[in-house]
Amino acid sequence: MSDTASQPDASYLLRKLHSFTGVLPVGAFLAEHFWSNSAALVDPRKYDEVSRDLQTIPFRLVVEWAFIFLPILFHGLYGIYIWLRGKSNVSAYPWVGNWQYVAQRYTGLIAFAYIGWHLYTERWLTHGKSTYATVAQDMANPWYLAFFVVGILASSFHLGVGIWNFLCKWGLATTAKAQEAAGRLGVVIGVAFSFVGILIVLSFRLNWHPFAFYYINK
Amino acid sequence: MRKPKIIVVGGGLAGLMATIKAAEAGISVDLFSIVPVKRSHSVCAQGGINAAKNQKGEGDTTDKHFDDTIYGGDFLANQPLVKRMCEAAPGIIDLLDRMGVMFNRTPEGLLDYRRFGGTLYHRTAFAGATTGQQLLYALDEQVRRHEAEGRVKKCEGWTFLSAVMDGAHVCRGICAMDLRTMEVKTFPADAAIFATGGIGAIFGRSTNSVVCTGSAQAALFQQGVDYANGEFIQVHPTAIPGEDKLRLMSESARGEGGRVWVPRKPKENRPPRNIPKSDRFYFLEEWYPKYGNLVPRDIATRAIHRIVYQEKLGLDGQAAVYLDVTEIPRETLNRKLEGILEIYEKFLGVDPREEPMKVFPGMHYTMGGIWVNGEDQATNVPGIYAAGECEYQYHGANRLGANSLVSCIFGGGLAGTAAVKHVNNLEKGAEATAQAVYESERKRQEEKNQKLIRRDGSENPITIWRELGDLMTEHVTVTRLNKNLQAADAKIHSMLERYSRINLSDRTKWSNQTLNFARELENMLILARVITLGALARNESRGAHYKPEFPDRDDTNWLKTTRAKWVNCDIQLTYEPVDISLIKPRARRYDAAK
Amino acid sequence: MAETKKVIVKVKRQAGPNDPARREEFSLSWRPSMNVIICLRDIAENPVTRDGKKTTPITYDSNCLEEICGSCAMLINGKARMACSALVDQLEQPIRLEPLTKFPLVRDLSVDRQFMFESLKRVKAWIPIDGTYHLGEGPRVSPEVQAKGYPLSHCITCGNCLEVCPQVNEHNQFMGAAIISQVRLFNMHPTGAMNKRERLEAVMGPGGIQECANAQNCVKACPKGIPLTESIAEVNRDAWKQALLGWFLG
Repeated sequence: MSDTASQPDASYLLRKLHSFTGVLPVGAFLAEHFWSNSAALVDPRKYDEVSRDLQTIPFRLVVEWAFIFLPILFHGLYGIYIWLRGKSNVSAYPWVGNWQYVAQRYTGLIAFAYIGWHLYTERWLTHGKSTYATVAQDMANPWYLAFFVVGILASSFHLGVGIWNFLCKWGLATTAKAQEAAGRLGVVIGVAFSFVGILIVLSFRLNWHPFAFYYINK
Repeated sequence: MRKPKIIVVGGGLAGLMATIKAAEAGISVDLFSIVPVKRSHSVCAQGGINAAKNQKGEGDTTDKHFDDTIYGGDFLANQPLVKRMCEAAPGIIDLLDRMGVMFNRTPEGLLDYRRFGGTLYHRTAFAGATTGQQLLYALDEQVRRHEAEGRVKKCEGWTFLSAVMDGAHVCRGICAMDLRTMEVKTFPADAAIFATGGIGAIFGRSTNSVVCTGSAQAALFQQGVDYANGEFIQVHPTAIPGEDKLRLMSESARGEGGRVWVPRKPKENRPPRNIPKSDRFYFLEEWYPKYGNLVPRDIATRAIHRIVYQEKLGLDGQAAVYLDVTEIPRETLNRKLEGILEIYEKFLGVDPREEPMKVFPGMHYTMGGIWVNGEDQATNVPGIYAAGECEYQYHGANRLGANSLVSCIFGGGLAGTAAVKHVNNLEKGAEATAQAVYESERKRQEEKNQKLIRRDGSENPITIWRELGDLMTEHVTVTRLNKNLQAADAKIHSMLERYSRINLSDRTKWSNQTLNFARELENMLILARVITLGALARNESRGAHYKPEFPDRDDTNWLKTTRAKWVNCDIQLTYEPVDISLIKPRARRYDAAK
Repeated sequence: MAETKKVIVKVKRQAGPNDPARREEFSLSWRPSMNVIICLRDIAENPVTRDGKKTTPITYDSNCLEEICGSCAMLINGKARMACSALVDQLEQPIRLEPLTKFPLVRDLSVDRQFMFESLKRVKAWIPIDGTYHLGEGPRVSPEVQAKGYPLSHCITCGNCLEVCPQVNEHNQFMGAAIISQVRLFNMHPTGAMNKRERLEAVMGPGGIQECANAQNCVKACPKGIPLTESIAEVNRDAWKQALLGWFLG
């Protein structure tokens, strides 16, 4: 219509894609991953069964690359690009939202590094055939353990704030009240993921299975 | 083919409307403004804009608006053009509505109207209590559109220095200064429209913005553009006193039911909320039962002065009275008056919804201004037009609230249209004017700057300005005594003399605000004299001009317009009759039906 | 003899965009209801630093002095705000005055905010009327829409929301919350909505709404209390709908 109006910029589409991939599939995968790993809370055998089931899904390589590796890679790398375009000023304006803005960047970076390392140790080196025993062995190393805890907390925080960002940035939570509610939802998600994640780590570390009585011997 | 050009100086309501009219007619416009036009003083207008749309079924008509305006102005305005303005007002509201102004609405989605001073009708359309801001933005947006489409060039951050006149004393452009580079430059044009607003700075502290110095008007005056009715200065009854400025507390506060009162006991020490109604003196309502708190501004201002200075009933013995909106429901306050209540809250830290506001009259508006003919906003110099507060045409001896916005837009539109006609009919435009004409004006102004910068005296321009403000506020506002006016003029003379020994304390050539201020100061001093001499000569009381020695209106001797001229580098007052062809002057009384 | 109360003001001075910055300290006499503008005027009347050195008056922008023209935004004690409404009694001393950092400096405390006006042009922040001649009344607007639109139309283009936004900086030309909020205002109006598509296209252009990272500083810094984050969210929703649905449905 008008020659001065610009079309959606490539940066617009990429930014939207970045925001979207954070929730789907990356956030969803995180949920799935925590879910399947919480099998350890039941029984090492249950864990190994779930792990085996996952190893045998059809088109596994395609699914892994299309829905896990590439989205994470894109989300992480583009996230770093976004970080570089911002300039934090939290010391001058120490407001909650501003702290989250900064924390979202650091936790994103930590999570990205952690996920890379995690994939390398638990997927690459083991050819996707990790078992409860191999993971428990890794956890015996205090450095591994620390990195696991930090990585889980960072990922959980990043997801919680990310959900809040997503709801605001897609206009799903518009009014101030809705955005407050979205913030609370983000907190709940972040805390829930951290909690479950830490439980799983404890399970491996302490050989602790609070839901052992669920287990049915086949 | 010749491509005509119009220059508009001033980017408030009038200037923007003139710009739009000219741009719409296909003429290219250069728009000059000291500040980005969106920051012009029109944003400070609060209460609303008058138009007799009769949307409350009260039988209001444009004739009644016309009569209220003439009567409120104490019959000093030339009547035919005022009538045209009142007739055009409803159309102006429609136009603003189409431009997207967020006016308050009725449940049916129509514009809401409120009452204002000097009328008995709901005639004032409003956008909360920030109507001026909303109106200015609407016009600013339209001008931005013309700018984006190439018809308007904005020169923001430039200040007007002088008109460029050719040998026949016809305006051929302007000379202006870039406030950043301090470059002095001339701009050829076939017509120039001045919409340079108010003169509040002459009174030191007023409700006006910093740029309202009247400098452009005064500069034109010294180039032979006449100045009319300078002595008519409106003092708004309700302003919040402040060290840097007097912040307006709009008449709309009273239009929505706000009441003015003082405790009946002079040394009252109960907090206002604990003073029972019987111990409160609602003096406006008692003295003027018909109009009550909505008497015209000159009347309300004098009443407050009487309460404070004669009855000695000012709050805590100070110069202040209560303006009380606490009886109005909170929801109404927030929907209709929030803007002004926030100002009070922000600058005084008191919530006016809970506690009555302390207010006192403050200099607000000049009814007088550049002389224009009664037809099309043309001044006595061919090619120069004026519109808005800087000209004198519409408000007589006292302006009614909410009439300024309508006069700005009407006058601005008229000036734009007239200038278009003028430039289209010119046989020879600015292109035929010798370059030397421009160059000599540029040199004259540049030399003035150089002189100022080199001057090595001991006088500080801010000090002189602050003294001028105190002097003018004390002697040339509400109550005027001839001996004080005489003394004031002598004092301004001495200030002009001190001005020649000024020291700029900043001699740099980049964004030197001191240099610009010094230039403005000289012009302010000249205009202060025009005002003072006009007041001194007018031995009567009319509208805002009140002399206790001559307490009555004197139509036999003074039903005439003051027209100041610059002759041999001095002020000469002349007079001309007022056009009263439509409404016969009658006594102006607000304590009874008119 | 009672000593008069003093106000200490520390100003960042810079003679021009390419000149070195320096700081000067002034000691002023306190007065009731004193604000930062009065401090700057007092300095102009007597431009002498605290240690007795003669200097030049300070260049700064100001006009209305009642927080409605948007001129006098600056950093006061490190925070972006309007100087006219910054009351001395509510400020920690010494009062530090610095220019906004996200806009080109002119001199001392004065900056050039033309970028914002250019952005308003880009997003076509106006109602495209046919002309100023008489064309009857405007469209009816419900009190509800008016109540939503009116606060948005309060934006004074002061630039505080850009100043506090971490996404506005020398390598990111983000147009900022103020401009996006204006897009919402004009898209809300019955006539303005006719050009909604163009405005949304503009906010999806370079430096557009995608640069917002939801730090939500803007809404905290806005002197007019404009619900900027609400505006951003709403325009965001309209924008992706147009981008996505437009692609699918034309």
